[in-house]
Amino acid sequence: MASVRDIKRQISSVRNIAKMTDALQTVSGVKFRRAESRVRKSRPYAENFEEMMRAVARAGSNNPLLAGRDEVRNVAVATLTSDRGLCGGFNAQVLRRTMRFRREQNVPVKQVASGRKGIAFFRFRRMEMEESFSGFSDGPDFDDAQRIGRTLTGLFEYGEVDEVYLIYNRFQSALVQRPVVMRLLPAAAPEEREEEEDEENGPKAPFEFVPDADEILSALIPRYVETQIFQALLEGAAGEHGARMTAMKNATDNANEMASNLTLQMNKARQAQITREISEIAAGAEALAG
Amino acid sequence: MSEQQGDERQLYCRVITPEGVVFDEEADMVIARIADGDIGVLAQHAPTISTVEIGEVRVRQGEETVIFATSDGFFKTSENLVQILVERAVRPEDIDIEEAEHQIEEAERELAELDRGRPDWERIEKEIERRRGVEENMVLVARRHGEQG
Repeated sequence: MASVRDIKRQISSVRNIAKMTDALQTVSGVKFRRAESRVRKSRPYAENFEEMMRAVARAGSNNPLLAGRDEVRNVAVATLTSDRGLCGGFNAQVLRRTMRFRREQNVPVKQVASGRKGIAFFRFRRMEMEESFSGFSDGPDFDDAQRIGRTLTGLFEYGEVDEVYLIYNRFQSALVQRPVVMRLLPAAAPEEREEEEDEENGPKAPFEFVPDADEILSALIPRYVETQIFQALLEGAAGEHGARMTAMKNATDNANEMASNLTLQMNKARQAQITREISEIAAGAEALAG
Repeated sequence: MSEQQGDERQLYCRVITPEGVVFDEEADMVIARIADGDIGVLAQHAPTISTVEIGEVRVRQGEETVIFATSDGFFKTSENLVQILVERAVRPEDIDIEEAEHQIEEAERELAELDRGRPDWERIEKEIERRRGVEENMVLVARRHGEQG
């Protein structure tokens, strides 16, 4: 059995760890709430943007960004991860989903990575990255989304890829983030929901487009891609802080449990030591008396 | 959005950015610069979708006019609701001129350092110029309305 002094040292180091993880949990909690409110605040923009896309797309267009190309020869996938670790399975699950996605494709896949964890992962596997972005995962700005969006839209427009996907952690709660795959381009997806909505509200007066639907679409779609990425980045940030908060809470709980186990062990060891000393004294006394 | 159905003659205006809804109120008239020039929207305007140019959006409310310096973006009006979707919309009194000027310098520097050998340089140049335009507009609007603020 370890000596009392050894155990004492262990306890104090475990307590120090608990203090650190507890502080990190508090910090993540504050950041989490801020990130969550940003997710909420950005929703009206994203939702209204989709609505506008639908309205313009309804006018019909053969813009490849919307309608797609006949043959898909290459696809691009952008994976959003965090810059820092200590957030449980947050990055692992989205990277695992990315690898599965890549296996499922029958055509070559170009990888784009955002977040240091993702970049390190792909680098470690010697996978080529088309472009990588980092330094903003815990507090993304619209500018950051724009840089990623421009790269992806560019890959599509220059004909290097015929489809663009985004894989990120959809934020559900501090405890739950689910990795999702979303097609960014061609951007026909939002139209699918149009039918139901029209049935509910009845036919609307047709829009007048200035200058015309095609022109608006070609401005709208790249911005739509950026908006989707921004939303994903914000959800990622909220998820990252939430996951870290949860991971740190678990770590703190574990450390506290460990400290109490160690304290028990230390008491036992001390007890054993006392018993041993007493029996030694008793034995010695007996020997003298004898 | 139930308020829309309230009065058929009441116009509403909503200015929305990725960081949140910055304006959501009744309005008498909304003036914005769309693709083919300035548009003044009153209640019961024909449903229209267009782009918004970098510039000013003005919302008349009785005697008052609320002004926003905006980036480029999109414009939609239907059923007495005007929606302005822009990346940035700032009231003149909230514009940080120093910050805007710093951003302009930054853009200038990026333009000077831009590698005109890479295949997508024209796209990047356009994007930086757009960013500079947005900041220049911020400074312009702040100066124009500075005394009122």
